[in-house]
Amino acid sequence: MILPVADGAQVRAYARQLIRRHPRGLAAVLGLHALAAVSGLAAPRLLGQLVESVQHGTTRLTVDRLAGAIAAFVVVQSVLVRFATYAAARLGEQVLAELREEFVERLLAIPLSTVERAGAGDLVNRVTRDVSGLSVTVRQAVPETIIAAVTACFTIGGLLLVGPLLALPSLLAVPLLVFSTRWYLRRAPAGYLRENAAYAGMTDALAETVEGARTVEALRLARRRHERIDHEIGVSYAAERYTLRLRTVWFPFCEISYVVPVVATLLIGGWFYLSGWVTLGAVTAAVLYVQQLIDPLDRLLNWLDQLQQGGASLARLLGVANVRDDLSGPQSVAAWAGQVADRLALPAIPDSERIEARDVRFSYVDSRDVLHGIDLRIEPGERLAMVGPSGAGKSTLGRLLAGVHAPRTGEVTVGGAPLAALPLDELRGHVALVTQEHHVFIGTLRENVALARPGAADEDVRGALAAVDALDWALAIGLDTEVGAGGATLSPAQAQQLALARLVLADPHTLVLDEATSLLDPRAARHLERSLAAVLEGRTVIAIAHRLFSAHDADRVAVVEDGRITELGSHRELIEADGAYAALWRSWHGSAAVPS
Amino acid sequence: MKALPVSDPGTPDHRSATRYLLWLARTQAATLAGGIAFGIIWMAAPALAPATIGRAVDALAAHDRHGLARWSVVLLGLGVVQTVAGMLRHRFAVTNWLSAAYRTVQVTTRQATRLGATLPKRVAAGEVVSIGTADISHLGHGLDVLARGSGAVVAVVVVTVILLSASPRLGLVVLVGVPLLMATVGLLLRPIHRRQHAYRELTGALTGRAADIVAGLRVLRGVGGEAAFAARYRAQSQELRAAGVRVARVESFLEAAQVLLPGVFVALVTWIGARFALAGEITPGDLVTFYGYAVFLSFPIRTLVEAAQKLTRAHVAARRVVRVLALRPEVADPPTPATPPAATGDLVEPVSGLVVRSGEFTALAAADPADALAIADRLGRYDPASAARLDGVPLRDLAVAAVRERILVADNDARLFRGRLCDELATGAAVDPADLEAALHTAAAHDIVEALPDGLDTELTQGGREFSGGQQQRLRLARALLADPPVLVFVEPTSAVDAHTEARIGDRLVTARAGRTTLACTTSPLLLDRADRVVFVADGRVVAEGTHAELRRTQPRYAATVTRGES
Repeated sequence: MILPVADGAQVRAYARQLIRRHPRGLAAVLGLHALAAVSGLAAPRLLGQLVESVQHGTTRLTVDRLAGAIAAFVVVQSVLVRFATYAAARLGEQVLAELREEFVERLLAIPLSTVERAGAGDLVNRVTRDVSGLSVTVRQAVPETIIAAVTACFTIGGLLLVGPLLALPSLLAVPLLVFSTRWYLRRAPAGYLRENAAYAGMTDALAETVEGARTVEALRLARRRHERIDHEIGVSYAAERYTLRLRTVWFPFCEISYVVPVVATLLIGGWFYLSGWVTLGAVTAAVLYVQQLIDPLDRLLNWLDQLQQGGASLARLLGVANVRDDLSGPQSVAAWAGQVADRLALPAIPDSERIEARDVRFSYVDSRDVLHGIDLRIEPGERLAMVGPSGAGKSTLGRLLAGVHAPRTGEVTVGGAPLAALPLDELRGHVALVTQEHHVFIGTLRENVALARPGAADEDVRGALAAVDALDWALAIGLDTEVGAGGATLSPAQAQQLALARLVLADPHTLVLDEATSLLDPRAARHLERSLAAVLEGRTVIAIAHRLFSAHDADRVAVVEDGRITELGSHRELIEADGAYAALWRSWHGSAAVPS
Repeated sequence: MKALPVSDPGTPDHRSATRYLLWLARTQAATLAGGIAFGIIWMAAPALAPATIGRAVDALAAHDRHGLARWSVVLLGLGVVQTVAGMLRHRFAVTNWLSAAYRTVQVTTRQATRLGATLPKRVAAGEVVSIGTADISHLGHGLDVLARGSGAVVAVVVVTVILLSASPRLGLVVLVGVPLLMATVGLLLRPIHRRQHAYRELTGALTGRAADIVAGLRVLRGVGGEAAFAARYRAQSQELRAAGVRVARVESFLEAAQVLLPGVFVALVTWIGARFALAGEITPGDLVTFYGYAVFLSFPIRTLVEAAQKLTRAHVAARRVVRVLALRPEVADPPTPATPPAATGDLVEPVSGLVVRSGEFTALAAADPADALAIADRLGRYDPASAARLDGVPLRDLAVAAVRERILVADNDARLFRGRLCDELATGAAVDPADLEAALHTAAAHDIVEALPDGLDTELTQGGREFSGGQQQRLRLARALLADPPVLVFVEPTSAVDAHTEARIGDRLVTARAGRTTLACTTSPLLLDRADRVVFVADGRVVAEGTHAELRRTQPRYAATVTRGES
């Protein structure tokens, strides 16, 4: 996994910081719940008095008063509960909003190099599963735990007030609960992680069968898919059975721990009463208190799992701040902010638009270079095509020339300034990497074009669209129409034009095209090539060529093989040199063709 | 516990959501009955506890030591019964939940494979996928809650009987009070559900926004716009927060009501009880009993409300499942399938006039790539209207399985599945390792395998998404070659690989398919040049045939198509 996870200390520090951020809100929630819990304790006590007075004979007025008091406390308690739960929910929503917004901000600050390598899967999981998992924790588990803890504390307090002696029998339950719960919690997290993973494996298997239904039919994979699903179900079932076994042990311990104190309080309290140490009302109230303790205790135990899971989700969300940059080791949030500041502080001012690579070596994995000493100088306005077999290092070189990665040794400069040291905002003004990806964001068409310049004037947006020959359909759809997931659908060709229009607006002097045209929808290929040509006009272009005709049109062609540039020169020069490129060209062009 | 999954999930009743739920219940009747039985015992045991405590208090009041001991032991016994029954009920509940969920996954998968190529045309994949991510858990909850719900019903009945026999008048108060409480809580739930629904929609939208940012993160980090996106996310997040607070406001009233209503009910019962006790109609112990019941009843009532909610949701989920289960594949077997021809004959597609000659490597270049896709669909009989013939026999007279066995259309929408790479490439029953090697060689995919940590044994965790477009294409190519069908139709098999590799694949492909009927729809000169014969399609019809070189010389439109006007 490329994306890191925060450690326990970081999570705890963050939780403390959260508490410090909302001292008043938290105090209000705790205070209100405490008051609600106290008023909830009145009923058993009053009932005890009722029993007492009925036993000794009393007036109807006393009975009415006591019953009235019970009702009054119920009303008070419900009012307090109303405000307490509301305050807790409001605080929870606020904390949750802060958490997810901070996470997205961190996400948006991940170094380009990591984004390029990490792949979307892990991040998508964090942004969906972990955020919603944390939501359950913050919205439900934490408030419920607080309520349960507060209620339990006050119930125990009430019990002590009735008679400290009567609280003693309840202690019988403590060792039972503590040992069984510790046994359970030591095993549960791993068990539930496995269970969730297995469950996800099953739903994923269903999902890919559905999404690949045509492939299943074409390759006659139905039986295999059935077997696969049944296998995944089996794995899920095994994981479920494991956690069920854990609960089969733990639950009875809990339930018995709830029953034993009630019976013990009744029996021992009864004996105290018969010995004349306590009143009948006190015994009654004590038994009822002990019974009332069951509910908050049960809730408390039930939410422990969720709290654990919430902690794990939080660790993954915070972990995004620990992303390593190419240039440095792991770093905390603060260090990362410092590093950004360093990058900004470096006064590297390019003095021209010339891109130059000197003795560049690069490795993704330690000590396994994929580029072995590349020297390359690209003049402003030049068109350079890079060709070569896949895996030769073309894309890696392209990313280095675009400033995405920093070289291991040597340097890549623009106008004499190292690319990797430029602040991201400035880097984008110099060179942009254009890939096959053409994501349409949720938002209006206008917002989609104006990514690089959010405040761009209407005429600039229109101008960019017109430059790539996309203004007609864009106006037909409407610049302020919502597009992307859930909005109006754009064809792949339109999406690609959109990506090009963004570049026109961003206006870098150099473009690195990495297979940018290879996924061009063939149906609109020619149209798109014209759009692309409009974008390339007047810029330095480094094209990782897919189709040889783009190599043929370039000023120079670089043949990259095994991490080295093996041939470099104009199309004509390379044809005359009669090397690997010439052979390929002949094959592609057909023997009948005459090089033009 | 029984072993899951069942080997044959059976044929679901998809006539209606209710029938589907009943079908599910029937398939797991035994465990369902077990769950209900223990659910009843589990709920009935605590229902007897207040009465026991009442008797114990009476014994105390009468200074009856033996009575106290007796009732304490009974109370402990009830606790033990509840514990054991609770544990068994939980085990049955989990089994019921899982049985329903697993069986639904099984029947949905089987339906998806039965629909095959029809599925994406008839229903959004997301809708079927959400059966796995959301609906099965609702179905599971629905069957699980049956057990507890039945227990709750029995508990309410038991309590009512006890109270009626102890004091008919108090019993009546409880009898009237309980349904009244349920109805009131039910009324409160409706506005909550509305707001919760709105909240869930907003949550979904916000998650979608975040996923959108992740999906486009490369673009964002490359071109810019992070600040605007952060601001937009924040605005939407605050909107969600406001909605959450709105939900919480209504929910807080429900919470208060859940304290107030049973509380007032308890106070009422206690008050009436105390007056009766004062009048000597009931004992002080009875008073404690009544109080205990009034408190206890909120528990089964909550369970009943929960059961009603979950069953409703299960019904909605079942409706979605049934909608998918009721679909039929659009290409079906004829009533009496013809005998399949020897696969060596020519494959003819009359609409375009295309003839794919037996044993030859034919390339098809279409001026409009959409034509090539349509022709491939007809050749593979994915198009229900296909009039294609194999060795003179119309494909539509054959069983679909017979067509699939003979003709494979390998297109770029084909999907790699998760699993061990060698298993996912070798789709046939038994594959010779030498054949696997050969296929990887032909597809120039050796370097992909070599770069993997465990080579061919590497688990593909993301169904090929961990590979680049070009790598995926080469792996798909290897898989299609390994399937080794008598007739193989490629659609743009090398559109995402670089020229070097494409040239290599072109050479090897022709050799690998020597003597086998092959059609490659492509506009790449590197492939066209190597075909035995090239067919040029324009406006949906075959307009010229010949070798690549001939067509380039004689057909200007062909030349323009394959070189994209470069010279």
